Amino acid sequence: MLVVWLLAVALAGSLITLFMPQQSAKVAAGIIGAIIIGVYVALLMHPGQGVNVRWIPAWGIRFHLGSDGLSLFLLGLTVVMTEIAILASKAEWGRTYYFWILFLEFGSLGLFSALDLFLFYIFWEVVLIPIFFLLTSWSGPKGRRAAMKWLIMNLFGSLFMLIGIVAVAVIHTQPAGPLTFEISQLVNIHMDARVTPWVFAAFFLAFAIKAPLWPFHGWMPDAYGEAPAPVTGLLAGVMSKAGIYGFLRIMLPLFFPEFVQYQTGLLILAVIGLVYGAFMALRQTDMKMVTAYASLSHLGMIALGIFSLTRVGILGATFQMVAHGLMVGGLFIILGLLEQRTGSRDIAAMHGLNASAPRMAAYFLFFALATLGLPGLPGFVGEYLIIQGLVAHEVVFAVIAVIVLVMAAWYMLRVFQGIMQGPDKGQKILDLKAGQVWWIVPLAGLVLLLGVWPNGITAHAVPSLYHAVHLLAAKGGGV
Amino acid sequence: MSSFHLMLPEYLVVGFVLLALLGNMLVGNRFRLASWLGLIGLLSSFVASASIWSHSLQPQVMISGGVVVDNYSLLVNLFVLLAGIGAILLGWGERRWGQEFPVLTMISVLGMMILGLAGNTIVLFLGIEVLSLPLYILSASEHTTAGGEAGLKYLLLGAFSSGILLFGLALLYGALGSLSFIRFASLANTTSPLLWAGFTLTLAGIFFKLGIVPFHMWVPDVYEGSPSAVTQLMAFGTKVGAAAILLRFLDWGFYLSPQWWGPALGYLAVLTMIVGNLLALPQTDLKRLLGYSGIGHAGFLLVGVATHNLDGARAMLFYLLPYGFAVLGAFAVLILVAGNQDTVTISDLKGLAGRRPLMAAFFIIVMLSFAGIPLTGGFVGKFYLLQAALFANQPGLAIGLVVGTLLGLGAYLRPVQALFSVADESRATPVWTVSGAVVLIVAVIGTIGLGVYPTPVVHLVNQSANFFWLH
Repeated sequence: MLVVWLLAVALAGSLITLFMPQQSAKVAAGIIGAIIIGVYVALLMHPGQGVNVRWIPAWGIRFHLGSDGLSLFLLGLTVVMTEIAILASKAEWGRTYYFWILFLEFGSLGLFSALDLFLFYIFWEVVLIPIFFLLTSWSGPKGRRAAMKWLIMNLFGSLFMLIGIVAVAVIHTQPAGPLTFEISQLVNIHMDARVTPWVFAAFFLAFAIKAPLWPFHGWMPDAYGEAPAPVTGLLAGVMSKAGIYGFLRIMLPLFFPEFVQYQTGLLILAVIGLVYGAFMALRQTDMKMVTAYASLSHLGMIALGIFSLTRVGILGATFQMVAHGLMVGGLFIILGLLEQRTGSRDIAAMHGLNASAPRMAAYFLFFALATLGLPGLPGFVGEYLIIQGLVAHEVVFAVIAVIVLVMAAWYMLRVFQGIMQGPDKGQKILDLKAGQVWWIVPLAGLVLLLGVWPNGITAHAVPSLYHAVHLLAAKGGGV
Repeated sequence: MSSFHLMLPEYLVVGFVLLALLGNMLVGNRFRLASWLGLIGLLSSFVASASIWSHSLQPQVMISGGVVVDNYSLLVNLFVLLAGIGAILLGWGERRWGQEFPVLTMISVLGMMILGLAGNTIVLFLGIEVLSLPLYILSASEHTTAGGEAGLKYLLLGAFSSGILLFGLALLYGALGSLSFIRFASLANTTSPLLWAGFTLTLAGIFFKLGIVPFHMWVPDVYEGSPSAVTQLMAFGTKVGAAAILLRFLDWGFYLSPQWWGPALGYLAVLTMIVGNLLALPQTDLKRLLGYSGIGHAGFLLVGVATHNLDGARAMLFYLLPYGFAVLGAFAVLILVAGNQDTVTISDLKGLAGRRPLMAAFFIIVMLSFAGIPLTGGFVGKFYLLQAALFANQPGLAIGLVVGTLLGLGAYLRPVQALFSVADESRATPVWTVSGAVVLIVAVIGTIGLGVYPTPVVHLVNQSANFFWLH
């Protein structure tokens, strides 16, 4: 039942924020975010059964929420990153801003805990709406176009997935089966070989656009670039995991034979994204866009882990999802603070800032090193597991992935050097304020904790992945 | 149940029409009195329809097959009465239209109700005419050039389509020797050219009222020129009436021979969804935009008919309600924003989010429902249609529906984004009116309610479209 409370508090909190005075909305949202974290900690202690009640009986739709090793830590990522985003936002953005942030949290929590395909789809689209409005009203000059692009591109994939969802449910009823949208029951369907590729494509498109994976990232540069930094942090940290989560939660159990069949093509797709993102990150002059393309490259890495179709690769992807969310989210928020202080995002315009802002430089370096995979920090653990998964059968892709890791060090350190180091040309900025350190430290601490104690996640994720893998074995797929 | 009791909703409307006319004669030109009588008449008819509806109600055929009262007709009553009540409330402050406005609205709603219970071709034609004649007058009640143009256009094209419809019905009678829909099914087993021509012309006449491409040319101009309250009645009520008779005509009269019309309707549905939503994209006038969106939604409705299964019939019937709520809400905002203006463009909406946040929030909700975003009724309606299309094994219809939805998205989001632009200082802040607020709140509660917990309405619709011969 605690999962329901998590959602209920988020939804009620968002509505409460809407009726707060403009100035105190941030405080209220911060308190509500903290309460949600409290509920989440309780959930972590007593994972429980979730909830499963009839919703629209005529269509076999159930209100089924639950949390397992796969989703539990993504829920945690959501509550933590939302709280950080709230604290990193400006109070003058007003109550509607905080309403949308908390509503986004509500949608994301639902997305990561839904176990009924219809419910999953509802939340899948619900999370699009807050981002649309955040981009429309609290963003740069091209924000509206970015908002339009975000919604239309995402819905393009989603609506075809909706056809896929209904098709899967309809096929399940033939010749004789109840109409249901329960994921655990739909895995037993027998699809016609002529239909399967289309349904596979419908789901794949939606997840690949949301993540985004190359070449479906058309909305990404605009949306990441235009959104205010905390929202970019949420987009890259939390929302991008929704697409990856869809692969793990829905596509692997449902389409394992097809994954085996298309494996080479999918790996090539992921590796192109990995390399493309890295090269694009290298040639950006805008520090936010470097991170955006770096994130695209990382998502290619996570996708490689999944498409390796090995237990350790999938486990690595599961771990990396959470770790990447915390690291890249933190990085975007630090960059946002930097942009606020300097008024620019151009790497060439900044030099030697570590003289005037040593604390900020330190945290920047910490998150940058984490994303590039320094041993001891979680990026390394995730990438190690993914590459281990690849080495067994797909050694070529493993080699490419390692080469890209070197490039990752290059493009991340290039930004750090450009901005923080180099000759001090008298540019002075304000260092982190005490109030900001107050929430950056826990985030950095969490990242460090994951780096030295990855077993905290992997030990829990393994049982639920075994569950998925057992399903796969039943469908005739080897692991 | 006696036939009087079963027809009580219709009798109530007729009674209140007479009462309103009599009142006008006795106490003079009293707009407010006529409005109240219209409101009470439609509300009492609504209550009567709801009280007759029951799980155990068997279809009652009366007047030698001309009238069929069943749960289906009663549900249609509820929908069109909702549209009628909405129209009277939205026109509440518009004294300049005169006391005829409520009376004509009631008569038009009566025509829609007749379409719901028509069992033979004579009553079908009667319903279409009773619906249309008052609307011809109403659409011209704005004394502007655009109003006159709208009225004339609607009258000429409407009369033309009525002629086609009548001709088709006559040919059908000539080919089959019967007027009753139920008899058609057993008689229409041979394809004579006469039957084919009659059938096609009849469908063309109904498609004209429904606004299906290529019979849609009149829609945007008439919607634009008519007073907003009347446009709302056309967009919601007329669509319900025309869709109801289309479903009854095809699923009662020609259910044995869907191979004639199923594919044709499917192609028309896809064409209508795509053309309607595509043409809505560049519109700047909000009423024209809603007109084209209405065409697109007529295409969505046609999906339910074209699938020719029980799910399709139910999905179509369900879809009418979220569509209707969205129409009510959109026109309520439009009227509130318009004030004394005749037209509302997208740029008139600028800055509404800052000036009237609640009004803007409600407008966003109905627009998202039009676009079919989850947690609004529009999504559940589209989901039901999608189910019907895939159960009928027609993925083409499903893809058409998705493409239409995507195209429509752009059209519905532009007004939404305009809400957040900087306001034009020369425009006055819109003022809330009681009647407008009532309509808007009901529409928004309905939209969200259908999106979050559609179960009761799904149940209602499934009980109402329970034609056992479909599967």
